[in-house]
Amino acid sequence: MSLSSFFNKEDILILDEAMERDQAISKLLEHLSKAENVPNIEQHLKAVIERENTDCTVVGDGIALPHARLTDIDRPYIGVATSRQGIDFAEDNDPVQLMMLILIPSSQPGLYLQLLRALGSVLSDKQAASRLSEMETSLEIMRFFERDGLTLPDYVCAADIMRKTLITLRENDSLQSAVDCFINKDLDEIPVVDKDGDIVGVVSATSLLHVCLPEYLTWMNDLSPIINFEPFTNVLRNEQNTWLADILVEDFPSVQVDEPAISVAATLLKRQAAKCYVLDGKKLKGAISLPNFLNKIFRE
Amino acid sequence: MHSESAAPATMSQTLTKIASVVGLTLFICWGCGKLDVAINTKQTIAIGTFAATICTTLFFWNHRVAVAFAGLSVLIGAHAMTLDQVIHHTELNIIFFLIGMMIIIGALKDLGFLTWIIQSIINRKKMTGMTFMIILCFLSAVLSSIVGEVSSIVVVMALVFQVCDTLKINPIPFVMTSVLCTNIGSAATMLGNPVGVFIGSKAGFTFGQFLFGATPVALICTVVSLAFLLIWYRKAIREMTVKMEEHRKMNKGLGPLVRLPYRLGLFVLTGTVVTIAFHHQIEAALGILGEGNQNAFLIMTPLLVAALLMIYRSKRAQYYVEKEVEWWTLLFFMLLFSIAGGLQVTGVTDNLATQLTKLITGGPDAMVPFVIGISSVGSAFVDNIVFVAAFTPIIQSLVERSIDYSILWWALLFGACFGGNITAIGSTANIVALGLLEKRGHACVAFLEWLKIGSIIGLITGLIAWLMLSIMPVPKPVIHGSHGPVPEQHAPAHNIQPLNLEPLNL
Repeated sequence: MSLSSFFNKEDILILDEAMERDQAISKLLEHLSKAENVPNIEQHLKAVIERENTDCTVVGDGIALPHARLTDIDRPYIGVATSRQGIDFAEDNDPVQLMMLILIPSSQPGLYLQLLRALGSVLSDKQAASRLSEMETSLEIMRFFERDGLTLPDYVCAADIMRKTLITLRENDSLQSAVDCFINKDLDEIPVVDKDGDIVGVVSATSLLHVCLPEYLTWMNDLSPIINFEPFTNVLRNEQNTWLADILVEDFPSVQVDEPAISVAATLLKRQAAKCYVLDGKKLKGAISLPNFLNKIFRE
Repeated sequence: MHSESAAPATMSQTLTKIASVVGLTLFICWGCGKLDVAINTKQTIAIGTFAATICTTLFFWNHRVAVAFAGLSVLIGAHAMTLDQVIHHTELNIIFFLIGMMIIIGALKDLGFLTWIIQSIINRKKMTGMTFMIILCFLSAVLSSIVGEVSSIVVVMALVFQVCDTLKINPIPFVMTSVLCTNIGSAATMLGNPVGVFIGSKAGFTFGQFLFGATPVALICTVVSLAFLLIWYRKAIREMTVKMEEHRKMNKGLGPLVRLPYRLGLFVLTGTVVTIAFHHQIEAALGILGEGNQNAFLIMTPLLVAALLMIYRSKRAQYYVEKEVEWWTLLFFMLLFSIAGGLQVTGVTDNLATQLTKLITGGPDAMVPFVIGISSVGSAFVDNIVFVAAFTPIIQSLVERSIDYSILWWALLFGACFGGNITAIGSTANIVALGLLEKRGHACVAFLEWLKIGSIIGLITGLIAWLMLSIMPVPKPVIHGSHGPVPEQHAPAHNIQPLNLEPLNL
């Protein structure tokens, strides 16, 4: 299904003056309501603004995608607005030239993410928003969206919901670096990669605790023999010459980038894990945490 | 037996399983009728109920208690057993013994004694793959013979995972070694396996007699199996030696170095075992011998020690009773013993014994390989206690005819314990070890991979048991089993002489 099948040239609004975010959204919503007979626009405006206040939807150079999941619509609606003068979306962002307002029925949780993927080439094109704002008719704008490549994928895949992992450790890093990372970056799990960027395992605060305090030590009800952290002594003494390769967990939850996002949920449940790593072959591409997953599917 | 899968079964799978249970039960009833084992309706009902219970353990492990409850109702409703007989055959003495032991083991865990065992091995200096295997093998065998196979395997698995995870090596060869030796060691004493205390109690063996009869066989089987496993897993052992050497060079240990108190735990365990070992002498001194008091102190010792521990750690007493005692398993045992008692009450086991003597005409010695073989193969697929519960009355019936048949008690013990090694579902220790392996995220042992090494060890140990029973004078029971129907005056003359402090007929 192509992206352009979700709207037509009547749903496009060319704004000829600079304006604030809420005013622009309101104008576009009114326009969409007239063109498509969308009901309850006041409630929808409230929902879109609330969503926008929670998390700004400026996604690329000059592009914003305000949206809301609504219970009283049974099909998606998309309205497009362009502005040469720009719309002020957020204080720390430049004014946007392209705004796509997306209303999604709450019964289709993955649709917004599918639309985002369909917009991939537009979002990555730094000139797209500015070129579109120069167009003078809605027909020209419509033709832009009717070009090849702007098609919806059949399903949301892991890559659509992952967060790029920023912090990694190398297998020849010492335990000391991992402990520093856990403490300074407030992390509880860090992926470990080799020199090619292939993931070799995961080192977690829990696995580190297991090294210090194996399960059989917790069989005792009376912990007085280890009350002064005696089992930690050996690990602390060797902190600098214990390599992560020695303590990392090689069996961690993972999915491939192109796997359906639903398999992330299945993996998280099966493994009773809070985080799943996204790989391209063996290359680490990102990670999906449980809150991250829930946010993408239920809220974003 | 324990094949209830995690994934929900489809309707067609469930119907197939139900059809299998019904089909197998009817087939067994029909077969017993044809072989003149089930001569009347009550006998057919008793066989049907027992067969249905066995088949349920095979196909619906989680429903075994429900089916056993229903089975007892059928037996009473069909007049095959009276309520009194049902209660009488629950073998509460064995259940009490097991409850006491479970509480003691729970307290030992709590006191840090089991942790201390692991720590002492991890902290050994200059260990190699070979010494680790030898320690593992004997620790599994000895520990299971004292604290029981399930508690033993949990401790030994913790040791294996600690060492293998630290060295980053595949734990499967060491897991297999532990499990195989645990099952062999569990035959060494009455404490090793519920089967041991059941046979000991039904046959009327004292703890001392059991030691004389079972420990040498279990010891030789452990040594021979160890020799075989050292060759079979030589590559893994070599790899472990290399990794241990590398680890030592970097001045790293195999785990945390902690000093733990062990004296109290050691005292409790030693005290319990020694008291149990001299139960017969204590019974004689206290004058609690004879019909109705058989092995009374053997049963009471774990309860007494458990009582002292629960007083000593009164805040944990409720925890020990509620969490450390496996009530579900014990309830199943009680129901199963009762249903197996139905076979005895209705005379099925007498008929089976008669048919067996007709089939195998060479006397007790000729029956030894038969009993070892059939109980090994049976225990490989069905819970060994189920198999032993069914076989016990048959041997009791044979022993009533001649005390020489008492050698079959040992054949049954070794067959049931060693047979547990053949398949991955052969004993509770196997299931627990596989569960722990899976939980730790290690690769699973494939059914055929287990069968390969398990059947070799099963065959070797079975042959050793046969050979030893042929050449070794084994103890004969001092007194008949608690529920044996034989009046005292029918027992062979040499069997009712005053109770000795030494095992008889050695």
